[in-house]
Amino acid sequence: MTKQIATSDATTTIDTTPSGKPVALSVEDLEVVYTVRGVDRVVLRGVSFAVASGEAYGLVGESGCGKSTTAYAALRYLPMNGKIIGGHVRVGGRELTTMTDDELQQFRAHEASMVYQDPSQALNPTLRVGRQIIESFTLLGHDKKEAASLAIDALKRVRIADPSRVMDRYPFQLSGGMQQRVVIAMALACNPKLLVLDEPTTGLDATVEAEVLDLVRMLRQETDAAVLLIAHNLGIIRGLCDRVGVMYAGRIVEEGPSAQVFDDPRHPYTVGLLRSLPRHGVRKTERALATIPGTLPLIGSDLPTCVYVDRCPLATELCRTEVPPIVPIGNNGDRFTRCHYPDQVVAIEESVASVNISVLAPSAENPGVLELSHVSKTFKQRNHSIPALVDVELDLALGETLGIVGESGSGKSTLAKAILGIEAADAGGSVSLDGRVMMGSTVGRSANDKRSMQMIFQNPDSALNRSWSVRRILMRSVEKLTNIKGAAANERVEQLAEHLRLTPRHLDLKPRQLSGGLKQRVAIARAFAGDPRIVVCDEPTSALDVSVQAAILNLLADLQTEQKTSYVFITHDMGVVRYLADRIAVMYLGRIQEIGPTDDVFNGPNHPYTEALLSAIPSVDGEAVSRIRLEGEIPSPANPPSGCVFHPRCPRVIPGVCELTEPPLLEVAPGHSMRCHIPIEELIELQRKPTK
Amino acid sequence: MSTAQTTTSVLSERKQARREQWRLIFRRPSFIVGVVIVLVWVACALFPDLIAPHHPLNYRTGKHLSPGWGHIFGTDSTGRDVLSRVIAGARDVLKIAPIAAVLGVFFGVILGLMQGYLGGWVDLIASRIVEAFLSLPVVFVALLSITTLGRSNLVVIGVVATLFTPIVARTVRAAVLAERDLDYVTSAKLRGESKAFIMFREILPNVSGPIVVELTVRMGYAVFTVATLSFLGAGPPPPSPDWGTQVSDTYNNLIADFWWPTFFPAMAIASLVIAVSLIADSVQSVMEGS
Repeated sequence: MTKQIATSDATTTIDTTPSGKPVALSVEDLEVVYTVRGVDRVVLRGVSFAVASGEAYGLVGESGCGKSTTAYAALRYLPMNGKIIGGHVRVGGRELTTMTDDELQQFRAHEASMVYQDPSQALNPTLRVGRQIIESFTLLGHDKKEAASLAIDALKRVRIADPSRVMDRYPFQLSGGMQQRVVIAMALACNPKLLVLDEPTTGLDATVEAEVLDLVRMLRQETDAAVLLIAHNLGIIRGLCDRVGVMYAGRIVEEGPSAQVFDDPRHPYTVGLLRSLPRHGVRKTERALATIPGTLPLIGSDLPTCVYVDRCPLATELCRTEVPPIVPIGNNGDRFTRCHYPDQVVAIEESVASVNISVLAPSAENPGVLELSHVSKTFKQRNHSIPALVDVELDLALGETLGIVGESGSGKSTLAKAILGIEAADAGGSVSLDGRVMMGSTVGRSANDKRSMQMIFQNPDSALNRSWSVRRILMRSVEKLTNIKGAAANERVEQLAEHLRLTPRHLDLKPRQLSGGLKQRVAIARAFAGDPRIVVCDEPTSALDVSVQAAILNLLADLQTEQKTSYVFITHDMGVVRYLADRIAVMYLGRIQEIGPTDDVFNGPNHPYTEALLSAIPSVDGEAVSRIRLEGEIPSPANPPSGCVFHPRCPRVIPGVCELTEPPLLEVAPGHSMRCHIPIEELIELQRKPTK
Repeated sequence: MSTAQTTTSVLSERKQARREQWRLIFRRPSFIVGVVIVLVWVACALFPDLIAPHHPLNYRTGKHLSPGWGHIFGTDSTGRDVLSRVIAGARDVLKIAPIAAVLGVFFGVILGLMQGYLGGWVDLIASRIVEAFLSLPVVFVALLSITTLGRSNLVVIGVVATLFTPIVARTVRAAVLAERDLDYVTSAKLRGESKAFIMFREILPNVSGPIVVELTVRMGYAVFTVATLSFLGAGPPPPSPDWGTQVSDTYNNLIADFWWPTFFPAMAIASLVIAVSLIADSVQSVMEGS
């Protein structure tokens, strides 16, 4: 069946890419299977693309689409059970699929490099960084002395200011961003013809991610390596890549210059993917997010014709009987889509449900449900005390969503734990529900308090007991939280499931038999089992694919409107928080630096940290933003800087003031407060946008 | 509609995966060999009268007849048929070893769950005791307790189970440590579950893999330990056909070249230990492979 694809005109891309430069990497009709329990499962169904020297090519797609497999196959670096069953991979004109092991080893040592997602796993924790970098040069045949000086140069190249000091460190003594720089330096050691980056910034904080992306952008101009970048974040691809390939179920369904593909998508899948992102500052009160019906096909499913046919709004009988052709778009020959109806794609209507979201802002008639007063949390470790949360004051109104954003170490998870009583806050502060001060830890709280506050976790795999059936998971929560027992409880479980669009069949499955989105629905159903007043959502969509995220966000918004539940919504995704939150609190090193209504926070004036955070977001819309680069690392909460904790990294620091006293949280506009020494009038002036 | 379709396919996929997993274990020759050997000994233990050609104690003929057609395994110093005695001897070890292993795993699981989940002082104190136990030589402690407590199956079972408990506890504790910080445990705390519920209902099913592996491994060790103890005189006294007892009773005659009354019961012990280990290995690799 896959042989039909081989008749496509992909062979025209052997010598030059559409950009006209010589090809460094060319992949043609690549077919890869994974053998799982003795059965071959197809992951790549004829992938073809080419990357020129000095060009960056991005692959995007949701989990299981085969983008990582393609990246690994480009170096013939597949796992033991993976096998190339058809097609070609050529780097610099040399065929990889027929290389012997020795040739392959030589090739990988001298001509190609890879940077992985987690830098802490790419570095050996027991060896000093210097030794590891020097090793990557001695392997290339340099003697010790030469290698040492080359290593220093390599670190300077990745903009490490003090290379000799970094070389003396062990990997764990470096921050994530620094580790990734070291890994990139090592990857560039051999001056590779091909550099593969597999989600290089996924584990990093927003401001650090922005730095690493800037570095990659600068390095691109300095080397003539072909760069293959894998990322699930479309904004990163847009900012970094010349061309992009959109993958779905093991095939590239659309390819072209990144800006064109993202601004004017021509494949139904690309359209669906882009529409399900919360973009252009859309809010829940305006409209629901678009979703893609159906689910991603299972790996190895039989998809004989168009891979997207089951979810496509344009699908006809033709799509089920014939493999769609590669249709060029425009006259430059640099774009194609794989669709029978490329002309109808632009006309796909955005079938978006109308929304009926009412926002209940805190006011005199709508008193706060939850109130935090002077809440601090200090962890004790041997003789150190680590202030993870410092004097937090918050209130949350009925039916309101409070977004909490911040990078690692900002204390946002600790805040969630303190609210829920998983980690009791320090004495001296209080957490009150409906004006009543609650006990600090969950164990001491009344049944009613427990019932009133529940949580939705980041990772549904960890949040659901994998030995329990969905029914048992929900049943237990219903019984425990509402005191309804037996048949009545079962009825309630079925209602709950129906409400969350889970079918009765799902109830008798184990979590691992469900997809990520369905698992998260079960977790949400569990949180709502006892009609909670407040639900703390800890990054509930960050482990999910974009199209699934949209459905979950819609669901959360609907549930809130119906049940007047208040959300504390922790996230690092500014698009998501802008869509869902009514108010936003920005945290840094355990303190709230800024809090205010969502529009105020996004429109400014902002605390300088918020300003930096907002400018660090790689945007899929490619808006020109003047990036504020933050110097240095996020300090450890164990040893916070003096005065304003943000002053060492603050681009607007006032010397002689900021390092001495910590500014108070002052209201600058109704409901909008921030912690900054700079007078608000001056901030407005400083942050005035050139246009708009 | 589409979700229902997915469910069906996922469901059948899952069933198929489980079937494939079973097929995988049955495809391993080592597992088959192990199971066959164990089943042969279990049959011997259950129906010695049907299988053994002679009575293990009462039948007498020529002394020290070498293995041949009349007596495949030969006869011992008092003229008893070695084959019949080996067959009858399976009963003692197959009775004592599994009970001891199961009891050791049972208490080890409870201790390990408490150590891993409760942590803090419970873990600190229990860990030191466990380490102290682990540093003691098994056979020495076993002999010591048997000489003080007297010689009986019950004492052997108790001693072996007690010695296995800390070993099992250590494995279970490690598995629980990986579970206790998962969010489903936090979720259980948030709805106010008791510690016992979280340990035994939430966490225990998720650490069953390592427990099953531990059980099969301990079974092998238990056979070996029980046989060793009866060789050293802690088992049933001499006329008994118990394998360890037989070996200890006859090995003095090895010097006179009468190797068969010692060799065959020793081989019986070895075959059972190896067979159980083969099963344990297969279970472990299939469990960890999935």
